[in-house]
Amino acid sequence: MLIFVQALVLFPLWFEIPTWVTASTIALMFFKFLSYRLQIKLPAWIVLIFVFSALAGVYFHFRTISGRDAGVSLICLMYGFKLLESKSYRDAALTLFISFFIMVMAFLFNKSIVMGLYLLLAMIAILSGLVALNSIHGFQGLKHLSKISGVALLQALPIMLVLFFLFPRLPGPLWAMPDSSQGGTGISDSMSPGDIGSLTTFDDPAFRVKFESTVPSANDMYWRGMVFSDYDGYTWREGVRSPTRTANIPNFTSRYQYKVQMEPNQSRWLFGLEQLATSPNGTFLFNDFTWRRPRKITTQFSYSAEAVTYDYQGVELSAVHRNVNLQLPATGNERTRQWAQQLFTQSSSTQDFIQRTLNVINQQEYSYTLTPEVLEEEVVDGFWFDTQEGFCEHYAGAFVFIMRAAGVPARVVTGYQGGEYNPYGDFYLIRQSDAHAWTEVWVDNQGWVRVDPTAAIDPSRVEADLRTRATRRDSWFSDKEFGFDLPQGFLQKLQLRWDAIKSFWDDSLMGYGQDQQNNWLSKLGIKSNQWRFLGYGLVFTLIVSGLVFGLWLLRKSSKRDPIEKYYELLKAKLMKQEVIISSHWGPKAILELLQQEHPELHKKYSTPIKFYIAIRYKKVSDKDNLQQRFKTQVKAL
Amino acid sequence: MINTIIKRIQKRFYRWVEARLPAAPEIQLKQKNIYILPTRYGWLMLLIIVLILIAATNYQNNMGYMAGFVLLSIGSLSTFYTYRNLRQLKIKMIKPKAVYAGESATLEIEVINQTQQYRASVGIGETKVKMSLLDVPQQSSSQFTKTFLVTKRGWFEVPRMVISSVFPFGIFQVWSWFKTPYQILVYPKPIPAPINLSDSNHGNEEGSNSVKGSEDFYSVKEYQPGDPLKQVMWKAYARGRGMLSKEFEDKVGQQKIFSWQSVAHYEKELALSYLCHELIEANKKGIDFGLEMPDQKFDLANGDKHLYDCLTALAIF
Repeated sequence: MLIFVQALVLFPLWFEIPTWVTASTIALMFFKFLSYRLQIKLPAWIVLIFVFSALAGVYFHFRTISGRDAGVSLICLMYGFKLLESKSYRDAALTLFISFFIMVMAFLFNKSIVMGLYLLLAMIAILSGLVALNSIHGFQGLKHLSKISGVALLQALPIMLVLFFLFPRLPGPLWAMPDSSQGGTGISDSMSPGDIGSLTTFDDPAFRVKFESTVPSANDMYWRGMVFSDYDGYTWREGVRSPTRTANIPNFTSRYQYKVQMEPNQSRWLFGLEQLATSPNGTFLFNDFTWRRPRKITTQFSYSAEAVTYDYQGVELSAVHRNVNLQLPATGNERTRQWAQQLFTQSSSTQDFIQRTLNVINQQEYSYTLTPEVLEEEVVDGFWFDTQEGFCEHYAGAFVFIMRAAGVPARVVTGYQGGEYNPYGDFYLIRQSDAHAWTEVWVDNQGWVRVDPTAAIDPSRVEADLRTRATRRDSWFSDKEFGFDLPQGFLQKLQLRWDAIKSFWDDSLMGYGQDQQNNWLSKLGIKSNQWRFLGYGLVFTLIVSGLVFGLWLLRKSSKRDPIEKYYELLKAKLMKQEVIISSHWGPKAILELLQQEHPELHKKYSTPIKFYIAIRYKKVSDKDNLQQRFKTQVKAL
Repeated sequence: MINTIIKRIQKRFYRWVEARLPAAPEIQLKQKNIYILPTRYGWLMLLIIVLILIAATNYQNNMGYMAGFVLLSIGSLSTFYTYRNLRQLKIKMIKPKAVYAGESATLEIEVINQTQQYRASVGIGETKVKMSLLDVPQQSSSQFTKTFLVTKRGWFEVPRMVISSVFPFGIFQVWSWFKTPYQILVYPKPIPAPINLSDSNHGNEEGSNSVKGSEDFYSVKEYQPGDPLKQVMWKAYARGRGMLSKEFEDKVGQQKIFSWQSVAHYEKELALSYLCHELIEANKKGIDFGLEMPDQKFDLANGDKHLYDCLTALAIF
């Protein structure tokens, strides 16, 4: 049983820890099983050697024994060893209680709803183990054991929910965590050719968005993440940037209200619908109109925001910004530079120049492919004049290069474009495969204008809804596998529904944090002293629920047997007839007393008392009938 | 130093506990006499919950919060679960029988459950650590027997007992102390006397009206240790009616008076043991016997009641 519990608890962790640790924990369990079966005992010094070699193994694997992954591996191993030496009540209880902790460690890696259900199961197993340990029957009656623990768990869930929502949350971690060893997939903080193209194979959700009222068209859904203004001839990076001051923000008007629920991306930037203005709580708006958090997003995270339209009438681009967004490497890509300057002199205005450039992309043989020829040097020249094929980052990079070469301030913006609508959850799902790069060009009196050069070649990529792009996904679920024709889109519907449930789980439960807590407290009208309120709330609900639960449970336990009640009634009736009955007399003694001292009462009372004796002390086949007759007789007295 | 202080505090605490203990043959367990505290595993669980919550806060992990709070809820609910397991049980103590020193005395305790709820793994013992566990199903009762090895004659005071339960999860322990109102009478250990004590035997001189004898049987009673085996109704025993002894009206036979004087030169306990043995032997033979103690005198008589009266006198001498 202990082995079973252990296997159940460790199972989700096996996929996260190094293979050799997994293998050794399984080996330990197997060994325990064998030694239990064969009744052999390992000498303590051998176990000790194993323990130390495990310790050394972890150290050499991770070069440390602290930190999340190393710590988890170490605890898993020690947990295995603990089982090896467990014999007494003490050892078993210790192992079971530690199992709770191990179980929670699995949450560090995976927080999905499936995991939640799985761990509910594991918890029932651990609790059953505890019940068995404390019961004289041990592991007999597994159904009974799991019933006790299941009921306990069910009763605990409502209390848990109250605690969960009322428990005060902190905005950040208690102490800085060492970087998680695995990076999240997602847009990175620089852009080289091929970076974004590589994301298109990832179907993982990046974030989910719920709009308050009006919803922009899919064409308009540009989710701004980062701005790159620094170019070294190959890679685009962020330029000089700083948090912006309110005074430097142009006037704006609100357009869309929405809520974002982000998946952890192990980076600090947030995504918002263009244009971005006031930043969500705990986030800074930078002067390139991007949002940044002071810490990496390592867990799910929700925020509310709004999209605005800026009014750039009369706003000048500062000299610093102009320089930053005109920067180019001193040399290289000379053909493109000359071409751009030439085109600029032919153009009547900046807008005209932009339009002419887009026309070139549109009319010449520029193609859109995920697998362009790889260029190492003179990347822009090679792309613009020779290969003429690429992904969005090729187009965005080249376009900004052309603008800057002609003296027009421009910059690259990366983020996501589009989104898949989920009708069941009424939200848009943005996947990693929606990653995109576009550009912004400074036009006097219009400010930063968004230009998506990729749209010029391949309108379908921007305009078409996600489904056209999903042909790849559909082919995975070919109907042939089922052997019959499924109604079209059945799997898609199923998937959307599942995603809606997941979104609720992620949004309302996993994404619940300080912001959400603040929000509902504010809605209740509690704006200050929130912690105090939470404290009172916690204490209050705990006391009330404790009282209610306690009364209910105890009431249930003290519910008396109806037969006993009728017997008491019978005795009370006898007392009224002035028969003195001591409280500790059994029915037989009463019968004797009646026979000797109250023969007239004996006639009437002897039958029900005899019935009572039969019900209580004899094995009778037809008990129900007897009980019924006993009751009616007592009533008749 | 600290140990002695702790011991003294403990002693005072138990004195206080004992002063509060009811000493009735039947005790109903209720809120007033049930105590509850976390077990050491309860504290361990609390520590684990705190660790989980700290980790959850640090990693901003809501799943961790949930698990932590579920455990916390289960932990607090188990106060009720465990308490419920003892509540409204009745402890009924059965009057213990007297024993001879060196034997083991048995205390029988009946735990009665009149409610509709199954009580699992209820333990009774002298301390909360060492106890025997039993289930008490609904509407029924279970019998605990506790044996004590008694070495000293006199009144053996049954120690304070405890009824306890950690069921279901072992997080909390509920318990209640109780004390039997009965003491166990311990007769001296019977030891055959090295000399013949019947020199103090006045009986033979007077013993002329010899007898109708032990044939004159007038009643049947339950067998008691010390009854002559030849008086046991073996036929009835074979029929499954239990050990029954015939009682005889035997006025006659030898007559023996045992006196303290005859053994006073022995060490006191030994002397009492000799007397004890002789009394039993005399009773077995079915003769009239008497006992003369410095402070008490039993006239010639016979029968078990007489024997036990005499033995009691020896026990508390």
